Amino acid sequence: MAITAYVGSAGLLLALASSWYAPPAGASQDPAAASSTASPQAKAPAASATSSSGATFNFAPNDPAGEWHSQARDYANTRYSPLDKINAGNVGKLRIAWTFSDGTLHGHEAAPLVVGNTMYVVTPFPDMAYALDLTKPGAFISWTFKPNPSPSAVGKACCDAVTRGSTYVDGMLIYNLLDDHTVAVDVKTGKQIWRTKMGNLKTGETMTMAPFAVGDKVFVGDSGGEMGAHGWIAALDVHTGKELWRAYNTGSDAIARIGADFKPYYAWMKGKDLGISTWPAGAWQHGGGTVWGWISYDPQTNLIYYGTSNPSPRVPAQRPGDNLWASTIFARDADTGMARWAYQTTPHDEWDYDAVNEDILMDLPINGRIRKVMVHFDRNAYAYTIDRTTGEVLLAAPFAYLNWSTGFDMKTGRPIVNKDKEPKPNVEITNLCPPDIGGKDWQPSAASPRTGLVYAGIFNICMDLTDHKVGYIQSTPYDGMEMSRRAAPGGNLGEFMAWNPATGKKVWAIKEKFMTMSGALATAGDIVFYGTADGWFRAVNAWNGKVLWSQKLGSGVIGQPITYIGPDHRQYVAIYSGIGGAATVKADANLSGFPALGGTLYVFSIDGDSVQTDSDDAPTPSPSTANE
Amino acid sequence: MKLRIALCHLTVVTSMVMLSSCQGGSTPPAASSVPAATDVATQPLGQVAGVSQDPASSLSTANPYDGNPQAVEQGKALFVKMNCAGCHAYTGKGNMGPDLTDTYWRYGGLPIQIYTSIHDGRPQGMPAWGTALAPQDIWKLVAYIQSFGGTVPASDYRQAHEGDTPGEQVAPEASTAPSPPSASGGSKP
Repeated sequence: MAITAYVGSAGLLLALASSWYAPPAGASQDPAAASSTASPQAKAPAASATSSSGATFNFAPNDPAGEWHSQARDYANTRYSPLDKINAGNVGKLRIAWTFSDGTLHGHEAAPLVVGNTMYVVTPFPDMAYALDLTKPGAFISWTFKPNPSPSAVGKACCDAVTRGSTYVDGMLIYNLLDDHTVAVDVKTGKQIWRTKMGNLKTGETMTMAPFAVGDKVFVGDSGGEMGAHGWIAALDVHTGKELWRAYNTGSDAIARIGADFKPYYAWMKGKDLGISTWPAGAWQHGGGTVWGWISYDPQTNLIYYGTSNPSPRVPAQRPGDNLWASTIFARDADTGMARWAYQTTPHDEWDYDAVNEDILMDLPINGRIRKVMVHFDRNAYAYTIDRTTGEVLLAAPFAYLNWSTGFDMKTGRPIVNKDKEPKPNVEITNLCPPDIGGKDWQPSAASPRTGLVYAGIFNICMDLTDHKVGYIQSTPYDGMEMSRRAAPGGNLGEFMAWNPATGKKVWAIKEKFMTMSGALATAGDIVFYGTADGWFRAVNAWNGKVLWSQKLGSGVIGQPITYIGPDHRQYVAIYSGIGGAATVKADANLSGFPALGGTLYVFSIDGDSVQTDSDDAPTPSPSTANE
Repeated sequence: MKLRIALCHLTVVTSMVMLSSCQGGSTPPAASSVPAATDVATQPLGQVAGVSQDPASSLSTANPYDGNPQAVEQGKALFVKMNCAGCHAYTGKGNMGPDLTDTYWRYGGLPIQIYTSIHDGRPQGMPAWGTALAPQDIWKLVAYIQSFGGTVPASDYRQAHEGDTPGEQVAPEASTAPSPPSASGGSKP
C-alpha cells in the first residue's frame, strides 16, 4: 500500500534506484518491485540518481557483506550495509521471522552482531551475552555468558543501566560491564578469556560504551559525567586485556597525552596544560569529560576520533572557564594515544551538551576541493562538517530547534551564546532548547554512498532549567540541574531526517510524536531503517523519506538496526525493542501511548521466511504429534 | 544476617543517645522519643520463619521528628546538600534513583525502613550514609521524605508488612482487625 502511493508520487527515483541495483538472482521478487523496474523511467540513465553530496567512504575493515562485526560496521562509522536483496521495491513485505527475549528490562541500546552463522547479543545490566545459532530455527541459544557485575553499578549510571554493545575481534566478543570491567569472551565456548578492571564505581564511574577495535587494540572509555568522574579513554591489547595507554580528558598535558604533535586548529585551544588552567583550581579532577559514545578510525592517518562528555558539575557557575577538554572532539594516534588535534564543540558547556556523538568519516567535495572530513551531529544541535586532518570547522548549521546560541563564528570556531539562556543558580530559565539530551543524543546516524546523505533520529525538545550549586561527595551525583522537558515548537518530540553534509541542509524529514532515539541503518537497497520511542520500526526510501513499511514492536525502540545474510542466503534485518535510557526520563514518559519496558530482539525477512529445518536433524514435531 | 541487622540498629540507637546528649537546645529533642536500645536491637526488621507471634513490632518505631515542620525543612536542606536530589530529583519524583513521592517502596515505606535504607544503603547504588550523617540528620531526611505523603505511618506497620496499603480497601478481616497495642505513636513499647 505504501509502495503504491510512493510509486505514484515519485516513481522516477525508485525506478532509477531499482535499475541501478537490480537484486541478484535468487533474491525474492514481488509484483511492486517488478512493476517499478518495468516502468519506462527505468531506462533513464542511472547518473541522474546521483549522490547529493558526492561523499565517498572508506569501508575498511571491509567485513563480509552479509555480516556485522562491530556496532558501526566499519571504522568510518557509516552503519551502511552493501546488501540489497531487501530494497525499496519489496521492503513492504517484511514480516517477523523470529524473536528472542533476553530476560532483561533496562534500555536496549546495542546492535546485535553477526559473525559467520552466529548472532551475538549483549544485554543491559546484568550484562549477559548470548550466542544464537542461525543455522537452526528460532534463535537457538548456543551459549550464555553471565559475568555477574556488581548491582551497585545500577545506581551509578545516570541514564539507565544500559550498554551500547560489543565488538567482535579474532574469535572474541569484547564488551564493557556496567561495573567498570572490560571482558573478552571466547565466541566458540562462551567462556571468559580475560576481564580487566578499568575504573571505580565509588568515584561514580560506570562503563556503557561499546568497545571499538582496530587491529590488536581495543579502545574503551568511561561514563559518569553526572557523577564527577574523571573521564578517560584507554587502549587494551585485544589478546591479553593489558592496558597499553590511557589518556585523561581533563588535567595536565602529561595525563591528557598532549605533546609536541598536538596542533589544534583554533588559537584558543593552544597553550600549556589547558586541561588545568581552563578550570577553577583543582576542579578538573572531578571535571567529567568521560567517553561514553562512539569512536571512529582513519586507516590512512592511523588516527582515532571520539568525543568527550559534559564538564562536571553540570552547574556552570561553579566552573568558570572553557573547561577543556570536556565537550570536545579529539583526534589521537591509535598506537600511542597522543593527541593530534582537538575541537571543543561547546566551550564552558552550560547545558550538558557533551560531544560524544558519532563522527562519520567521509571524503567530501566542498568549494571544488575534496576534503577529508568528519560529520558530527552534536547534542548542541549544530551539525558539523569538520576537516578531520586539522580540526577546522568547514560547516556548522543547526539541524534541530535551538535557542541557546544565536549563531556561529566561523573565524573562531565558537558558537555565539545567547546570554538570556545562560543558567544561574536558583534562577529558572524557561524554554531552553535543546535540553540536556540535546538536539540528538548518542543514537548513531547512518550514511549512504549512493545518496550521499546522512540519516539521523533527532529531537525537538526544550527544557525549563534551574541550577542548584552542588558539592562533590564521592559516590553521589555531581550534578545540580533541575529540569523538566517538553516538546519544542511543532509539538512533535522526535524527527528522522536526511542531511546533506556538503551543504549543511536538511533534505527531508519525518516528524514523530515520540522521541526518535534509535540508531539508523542505511542499505544498498536504498532504504533506511529507524525506530521510535513508542515502538514503531520503520523503513523509508533513502532518497525522499517516504515511509515504505512500519511495524509496531513490543516496547519502544532505542536500539540500533542491522542487516545480515543468514545461512539460508536470505537477507534479514534485526532490531532490539526495549525502551529505557534517556528516553524514559520525563518528556516522553508522561505521554499516553508511551510503552512499557521490554527486552526482545526482532528479526525480519521478506514474508517472514527463515530457516525451518534444524541442520542437526533434531526431530521437529509434526502437527499430528503435537496435538496428541 | 539477622545478627548483623540487630547490631547495626543497636549502634544507631546507642549513638543517637550519645549524640543527642551533646546537642544544644535549638535542636528538637530526639532521644526521649526513641525506643530503648534493647527493644530495637532484639527485634528483626523482616520476616522470621517459624515464629508465630508478631515479628514486626520494631517496624512500629516512629520518626522522633514526626510532625515537626522545622525538621522537615532541615531534611529538605540536607536532601539537596547531600546530593540526594541528584538521584531522586529535586521534586523527589525520582530519576537515577526511585520515586520517593509515590506509595511504592522497594525496601519498605515505614519510617524505620527508610531510616535503614539511608543508614545502610541499598544494593542498587544507594550509598550508606550511616558513617557520614548523624542519626538525627537521617531522621530529618526521613521526615522530609514523609512530607511527600507516600510513606506508611509507623502505626500501620502490620498492614504494610502484609502488603496492604493504608486507606485502600482490604479484606474484611484485615480492615476490622484491632489495632496492635503499640500502634499509637509507635514509640512507646
